[in-house]
Amino acid sequence: MTRILVTAGALALALVVTLALFGLPVFESLSTIARGSLGSEASIARTLARTAPLLLTGLGILIAWRAGMFNIGGEGQYVVGGLCGAWAAMVFQGQSSAVITLVVLLSGVAGGALYAGLAAVLQVTRGVQVVISTILLNFIALALLKWAVAGPLRDPSSTRPQSSALPDAVMFLRPNPQTDFHTGIVLAFLAVIVVFVFLRFTATGFRLKWVGANPVAAHTQRMKVGRLQVTAMLWSGGLCGLAAAISYLGLARRLDASFTENWGFLAIPVALLGGLDPIGTLVAALYFGALFAGCEALARETSVGTSAVFVIQAVAVLVVVGLGRLQLQSSRPESKPAGGAE
Amino acid sequence: MSEATLRVEGVTKAFGSVVALNAVSVEFLPGEVHAVLGENGAGKSTLMNVLGGFLTPDEGTVSYRGEALPLGQAAEMRQRGFAMVHQHFMLVPNFTVGENLALDALQDLRGRLAQPDLIASALERAKSLGWSIDVDDRTDDLPVGTQQRIEILKALAGPSDVIIFDEPTAVLVPSEVEELLGLLRRLAEEGRIVILIAHKLSEILAVADRITVLRRGRVVAQTTQMEANAAQIAEWMVGDVPAPQSPLQEALGEKAVRVKDLVVSGDRGEPAVRGISFEIRSGEVLGIGGVDGNGQTELAEAVAGIRSRKGGDIVTPNGVAFIPPDRQRAGLALSLSVEDNLWSGPVQRRQGLVLNRKRLWNWSRGVVQDYEIKVGNLSDPVRSLSGGNQQKVVVGRELSESPGLLVVVNPTRGLDVRATEFVHRRILDAARAGAAVLLISTDSDELAALAHRILYLSRGELRDSLVGATA
Repeated sequence: MTRILVTAGALALALVVTLALFGLPVFESLSTIARGSLGSEASIARTLARTAPLLLTGLGILIAWRAGMFNIGGEGQYVVGGLCGAWAAMVFQGQSSAVITLVVLLSGVAGGALYAGLAAVLQVTRGVQVVISTILLNFIALALLKWAVAGPLRDPSSTRPQSSALPDAVMFLRPNPQTDFHTGIVLAFLAVIVVFVFLRFTATGFRLKWVGANPVAAHTQRMKVGRLQVTAMLWSGGLCGLAAAISYLGLARRLDASFTENWGFLAIPVALLGGLDPIGTLVAALYFGALFAGCEALARETSVGTSAVFVIQAVAVLVVVGLGRLQLQSSRPESKPAGGAE
Repeated sequence: MSEATLRVEGVTKAFGSVVALNAVSVEFLPGEVHAVLGENGAGKSTLMNVLGGFLTPDEGTVSYRGEALPLGQAAEMRQRGFAMVHQHFMLVPNFTVGENLALDALQDLRGRLAQPDLIASALERAKSLGWSIDVDDRTDDLPVGTQQRIEILKALAGPSDVIIFDEPTAVLVPSEVEELLGLLRRLAEEGRIVILIAHKLSEILAVADRITVLRRGRVVAQTTQMEANAAQIAEWMVGDVPAPQSPLQEALGEKAVRVKDLVVSGDRGEPAVRGISFEIRSGEVLGIGGVDGNGQTELAEAVAGIRSRKGGDIVTPNGVAFIPPDRQRAGLALSLSVEDNLWSGPVQRRQGLVLNRKRLWNWSRGVVQDYEIKVGNLSDPVRSLSGGNQQKVVVGRELSESPGLLVVVNPTRGLDVRATEFVHRRILDAARAGAAVLLISTDSDELAALAHRILYLSRGELRDSLVGATA
């Protein structure tokens, strides 16, 4: 409980301090952000649309991190998920639109999962830490994206390097085309339930937690540590790939070099602020989704763009991580000397 | 009374609700080896950490040569001549011997640092002791006994009027022990205060001029070598102990475990177990003794089916329970809750896909009751429990469903008398229920109390007696 209050306080403080540092009138800016994120149907829809990719990638990161696999490669997995989706859309061109939608989703999941799985297998069999390999794989994925939209996936009718636009029938439904809300967003929220159930009610989810907390003891308990680590990374990459496919089918419609929008990186602070817990991550993703939507409004009225969001996020994470550290220290002041007394 | 006396007066130190030292007063005299004895948790290490400058006591004073000491300031205490030889060596494993000695002699990082200058005095000491030390050897390649010598040289190279040895014999084989005890005498004869922490009575009676016994943080007795009496000291150390359970003499069952020509490698691929064969009947406790690091962990893990073997055969019954030697490293996930730490038992045994949380919850409540685990809330992290209660979590998890084979390594290390007795009783209960038990322990009292048969492990091979094993 105190943790939640502390986190909320830290987030509010980070917001106010950042606005002040940007030289903006704090109260007016806050009200602009509030209007832009919650003020109207369109604002709320925008908040939800920004929340969905943050939420899915955040869930992906939390599963991996829970299992002790420090996946920094959400961005790369997101990109590869998107690429596989676009490629599938091209291959299945001419099929019924429902089939294409489904295949794009599945390809996105598979692409992200395999890309993360590669890093996991390298760690388990060759000792290459995912924390390093996933960073490097991000660069490869981004280069791959640039190459693909200028090469094999390029829309021949376009002068810019980008993939062909998906037809409306393939895209997720948008009940009100004036707003950003689309049915894919619902999938993101359903994913919270899936991840929650997976971690809490399945034996594999339970084992992931053990592997993350103490792999030596997990092995001694006859858990298949390597396999579980790979499993966690498959889930992680799969969720990041799903995020990409949903963005592609929801609003983006086509891929270009700026397809990523950093969702895979932003996912890490979201998962951390959410305490590596699905419900916490939902709350954190909603908060930052709202902040992105609100800051888009702010950007329209002032010279400050959405860059404020990144600063707020960074400050909030540093504050929360710092407070968490303090809490940890005060909760076990005697661990070291007591060991000496044994 | 000499002027160079070290006086500890009324020192009290509490960790949370645990009072590790309770108004302890002791005097240490120069030229004497002074042994501080006590069971695990009696407060020996806490007292030594106070003298080493690592802990600041809550109350009381420590003075040397009539001056109060800067307690809690390790570097300052070292300058005043307080040196400590730690039980767990304070050496950088991937440094060379020379680098380790130089590191300790380093005052600060200014000026030119030349290893030969820094280590000259340590090497001189080594020469005078007749030790041949190769400064270019990598420290972690050296045998434990040699590593200890480097630790001792570190202490002797600087000012060392008071030198504290924390359980120095625990890692040594008997011939090395004898040599070390000789060194302690010699250091004392040079006019130092030598403080020895230990729990092996025979070694202490051979070397200590004066003996102080701690129990539950209090000084319960002091005596001298002349008056010392092993039985009396043991009684002081232990206080009122529940009578030890003796192993059952009932008829044993069928042969349940067969191990033949077992060969197992250690973590670095070195041969750790070299061709061991034994059998255990159902209901029988086979004890395996010997000094740590002779293949115990590897043998236990291979028999428990956790470590792959290089050769030989192992036949075990269904349901193998394993209590690993180091609960914090291999037994528990400290950051997870008590509940999670218990649940892994049934989750791993049943291998179902879905957790029946309600059943697991009820079951873990039962274990907490049966094993008298003192915990406020099952969702508290297991880290918040005391060592004894943490061990009970491991034992409870492993034994609550009667296993066919129980593999136990040093199950009571670090536990107090009562928790020890409790864990012993549970192990015997498991045997009585038909389990074959492989008990690997470095504690000879534990082996005597529990085992039907005792073998000894020495450099990866089994021997019939400890004398034969270590000579």
